[in-house]
Amino acid sequence: MSMISHLLFGPFRPGIEAMRPMLYRIAYAWCHDASLADDLVQETLSKAWARRAQLRDEASLKGWMVAIMNHCWLDYLRSRRDFDDVDDLQDELESGTETPEACCDREQVIACVRAAVARLPLGQRQVLTLVDLEEFGYAEVAGILEIPVGTVMSRLSRARASLKCLLDPAMQQPAARPLLRRVK
Amino acid sequence: MNPAISDEILHAFVDGELDVDDSEKLIARMREDAELAQRVCTLRSLQNMVRLAYAEPPVSVGRTSLAVPRRQFMQRCAFGCLILFAGLSGGWVLRSLESQAVAGVPAPVIGGYQAVSLTREADPNRVMLHLDSAEPGRMEAVLDRAEQLLDEAEREGRGMQLEIVANSHGINLMRAGVSPHAARIARMTQRHANLHWVACSQTIARFTGEGQHVELLPTARAAPTAIGEIVSRLQQGWTYVRV
Repeated sequence: MSMISHLLFGPFRPGIEAMRPMLYRIAYAWCHDASLADDLVQETLSKAWARRAQLRDEASLKGWMVAIMNHCWLDYLRSRRDFDDVDDLQDELESGTETPEACCDREQVIACVRAAVARLPLGQRQVLTLVDLEEFGYAEVAGILEIPVGTVMSRLSRARASLKCLLDPAMQQPAARPLLRRVK
Repeated sequence: MNPAISDEILHAFVDGELDVDDSEKLIARMREDAELAQRVCTLRSLQNMVRLAYAEPPVSVGRTSLAVPRRQFMQRCAFGCLILFAGLSGGWVLRSLESQAVAGVPAPVIGGYQAVSLTREADPNRVMLHLDSAEPGRMEAVLDRAEQLLDEAEREGRGMQLEIVANSHGINLMRAGVSPHAARIARMTQRHANLHWVACSQTIARFTGEGQHVELLPTARAAPTAIGEIVSRLQQGWTYVRV
């Protein structure tokens, strides 16, 4: 059976297709739009497939594919928005109307965290999701996003600080809620 | 007191980016410094919340869910088509072989009965009539058929050989004292020199074993088995008709 599929569909690399759920999770965490995330993943998969000869080391497949998706994502932003410098956007705080004030149950926590992550500046959001969701090392993230490791660390630091800020009510839920919210 | 530990260091610790020595130092400090432990705890729970939030990202309606199964579906379709094609072409090849082997028997009909012959065309001049039943109607039919064929051949001036093969209860036709048509058989044999009567020895043996005395008419001969007789005649090019 596998020989037939090999003949019919060419050399089959299950590795690339297997990355789909991981890519989708990250793409969704970046853009918070299911269909856009789906498009990004699809584009990434087809680009990865087309460039599969460039990948020398199988072990780095995951990081390599995320790096491809990062390019797809930046291309998408460039095409969509009327700004020339994506770098500006990387540190721009997204304007979000949704402020997680009271998060009680699991579903609400999820919605709150997603809203908070969505409000992070793009650069911070990318670093945070890569580190937290897929446990990439700082050096790997630096390689994927093509930024220095120092930037990775500072973005992560700022991302977590803002997140903590945004989610304070949720995190303080079990304890007494402070009257004043820290605004950094 | 040690200098305050920066957020960056803590993050690196939480993310497993600190080397072992630094990690151990930090853990040691956390035991004494409750506030530091609290900061690490907050970071960890923040990390967990982010993980939880994206553990099950919403599926884009009707797209992601379809993408993988569709691929499998297409593969299955392809396999299905392949197997179907293989079956069809296999059948086609076999059909042509079959038709070569069996085409020689276009189900000839002799005297209103289905005839079997191994040759390309059933030979009307060498015919076996096979009787395996003592049913009066069929016995008579065999004799009628035989006379009809022989008369036809005579009219057309063909030299025809006809053999009547009997086994099982059909053998009664040729048993002296049992056959209801003994006189007719004798008459037919007189008239047609090329008419032969063959009985199956195995059947005779079986009847004998059952305590019956089997004596054939003087015109009939016994063949070792009826089936063997039929097969060897078929191989010689005879035409077989089961009455």
